[in-house]
Amino acid sequence: MGTAQDTSAIQTKIYEFMDVLKDATINISSDEVLSLFNALPHISLLDKSIFKQTLKTTLIKDFTDIPIFDRCFDEFFAGGDDAQVDVVNAFREMNARDTVRERTGMSPEEMAEMEEALADFIDGLPDEMLFERSPEEILNLLLDELAQSESAGGMGQMLFNVRNRNRAATGRGSGGEEEAGDMTDIRNALAALIDKRMSSKKIGTQIRDREEYLLNKPIYQITPEEIREMRELIRRFGQKLKNRISLRKKRIKHGGIDIKRTLRTSLQYGGVPFKIFHKDRRIDRPQLVVMCDISGSVNQYSRFMLLLTYTLQSLFSKVRSFAFISNMVEITPLFMEMDPERALNSIFEDTSFTYGWGSNYGRCFDQFMRDYSDSLTSKTTVLVLGDGRNNHQDPGLNSFIRIRERSRNLLWLNPDRKHLWNWADSIAYIYHDNCDEMKEVNTFLDLSEFIDKLFLDL
Amino acid sequence: MFDSVKSTIEGLATQKYIASEDIATTIYLALKMEKPILVEGPAGVGKTELGKCIASALGMDLIRLQCYEGLDESKALYEWEYAKQLLYTQILKDKLSAIMQNESTMAKAVERLSKEDDVFFSNKFLLPRPILKAITNKNKSLLLLDEIDKSDSEFEAFLLEVLSDFQVSIPEIGTIRAETKPVVFLTSNNAREMSDALKRRCLHLYINYPSRELEERIVSLKVPQCGEKLRSDIVRAVHQIRELQLKKEPSISETLDWAQALVILGINDLTHDVAVETLNFILKYEKDIDHAKKHSKNIFVH
Repeated sequence: MGTAQDTSAIQTKIYEFMDVLKDATINISSDEVLSLFNALPHISLLDKSIFKQTLKTTLIKDFTDIPIFDRCFDEFFAGGDDAQVDVVNAFREMNARDTVRERTGMSPEEMAEMEEALADFIDGLPDEMLFERSPEEILNLLLDELAQSESAGGMGQMLFNVRNRNRAATGRGSGGEEEAGDMTDIRNALAALIDKRMSSKKIGTQIRDREEYLLNKPIYQITPEEIREMRELIRRFGQKLKNRISLRKKRIKHGGIDIKRTLRTSLQYGGVPFKIFHKDRRIDRPQLVVMCDISGSVNQYSRFMLLLTYTLQSLFSKVRSFAFISNMVEITPLFMEMDPERALNSIFEDTSFTYGWGSNYGRCFDQFMRDYSDSLTSKTTVLVLGDGRNNHQDPGLNSFIRIRERSRNLLWLNPDRKHLWNWADSIAYIYHDNCDEMKEVNTFLDLSEFIDKLFLDL
Repeated sequence: MFDSVKSTIEGLATQKYIASEDIATTIYLALKMEKPILVEGPAGVGKTELGKCIASALGMDLIRLQCYEGLDESKALYEWEYAKQLLYTQILKDKLSAIMQNESTMAKAVERLSKEDDVFFSNKFLLPRPILKAITNKNKSLLLLDEIDKSDSEFEAFLLEVLSDFQVSIPEIGTIRAETKPVVFLTSNNAREMSDALKRRCLHLYINYPSRELEERIVSLKVPQCGEKLRSDIVRAVHQIRELQLKKEPSISETLDWAQALVILGINDLTHDVAVETLNFILKYEKDIDHAKKHSKNIFVH
């Protein structure tokens, strides 16, 4: 790119784009910024797809962030198939900047300071305002705020100067009309700057907000369309959780002596075992037994629980899962054979879970102890997901206590609000008193936090 | 060296590697900026192949290091040849005693001997492993660190010196710096997350399954006997199968196997029946095959 002005326009644009990425929770380190600017001279900015890949390859290091990057890029650099249009856009912004500078006579430093102040002001606004107010309204808001706090540092000083200079100009008698025109110009230019800043802020915020909304939405209110939307999100979220946990699990050295390796190396020293090698101690991955109530009242939760469990499968040394309504059925093989999504669907179509009617926890726990107690070891964590609505039947407490005795810990996730735990036919508190922990889960975030914590306690 | 994105694509094409513009852009930039490349993506999309093709397209020496759990410095970087050292001390016994003859005390003898240390800890007794080889190689070389995610995090940590400064420190000798910087090419299957430090030093490239048009070109290049119609049928079917929710999606290598197999069987038309019978070339799980069969009416239209 030719002149210095071109370069700075593009630089500004790129910095703004990086702000968008940051708003969408993608972290960018200064190393990456540096390598981006090192890369730019090697490519032609006029080829949009190459430009995009350059940004991607230098800034995005986590492939799970790629879909977000793509969306941000497409929205931010929208408006044409080639980057030329974008360069023109960048110039339009430059024009707005020029207008402000020329009319006010501010120095470049003052300009930069003012733009920073504008950006700060917009960053400080609550998200709703960003979406509801027009740039003009925001500008008025800004001016009002400045008027109220006379001592408002650099920014106030500057606008104060602007006013003074304008007055001085009027004093020289250059005609009131032109003066008014000047002010509108500046106002428009400022509004244009604000508009630009706001729209780029919206892109990132929108993406982040949508995700937060979905993750925090009570699971029983999630619509089928939203579930579809969340699939990708869960996969990405699961991957991140996995990464975090696997990084946390530092390998611990010094298990037993590795005889083979020690002897082999000793040959180099004429048979003297100079160097002693230890076996790496194996990472203690938890074994998991998941029992999910899949009756109508909680099946949505079970769905998410199983999905998350199987996304994270590689973190556990062994996962066995069971589903029940009034009959306990092992569903582990289903997940071995097919994609978790499909496995889930086939579970919910199956009818072998019902025997009689409604959930029967007692019967299922008895059945579990009778048929599947081999799955319990001192390393097993047992997770029960259900609301404890037993339809006034025998709670099967003996079996439940035996499950607890034979496992490392027994945890219960209850989708019901805590104050409903003993309401109607729920016998949650009977189980609550006999397991290690009963926890209320409402959102997807609750679920994943819970799993995250599972690894902390080990 | 490639001098534009376009020539990168062309250069790789001479090695029978069809690169998308995205792939070429990253490769081109990495070569220009002398930065390592970290390539991720599903298995079988040609990550390792890409590394090999860059090397042969640019006439570099390919030095490959397959990573695995427990890989350590002595296998990857360098190792002292203890046996050779021992042997030499045995052979040089007389020479050594001759040197130390004149020393009166034990302390002086040790001091005298330590002056000869350098002889035994010199390049002569150094066994270079792939990384050191790549750095000391006179020719430009491409260091392919395959499946870096399989290695331990300790290994990753000492890679950092190589990746950012192209140098290796050996305590007895000092720092060995690369005269001709090697191109470092890392591949990962996401078995575990790489550390931020490592990622920061690399350009990142994610290779996904190719577009239909691209995949057809790949098939025509690798299995030239495959007719145009068969080719487009195969690729269309594979792309539709990837849409199904499967445990293991077919990747490019499976597409190629399938095409090859159909050609050998002398089949010119991918009819519904033929396709269903040969599904086992692209799907590796019984349930996946069943699932695909269930949807076969939509996938194979002929």
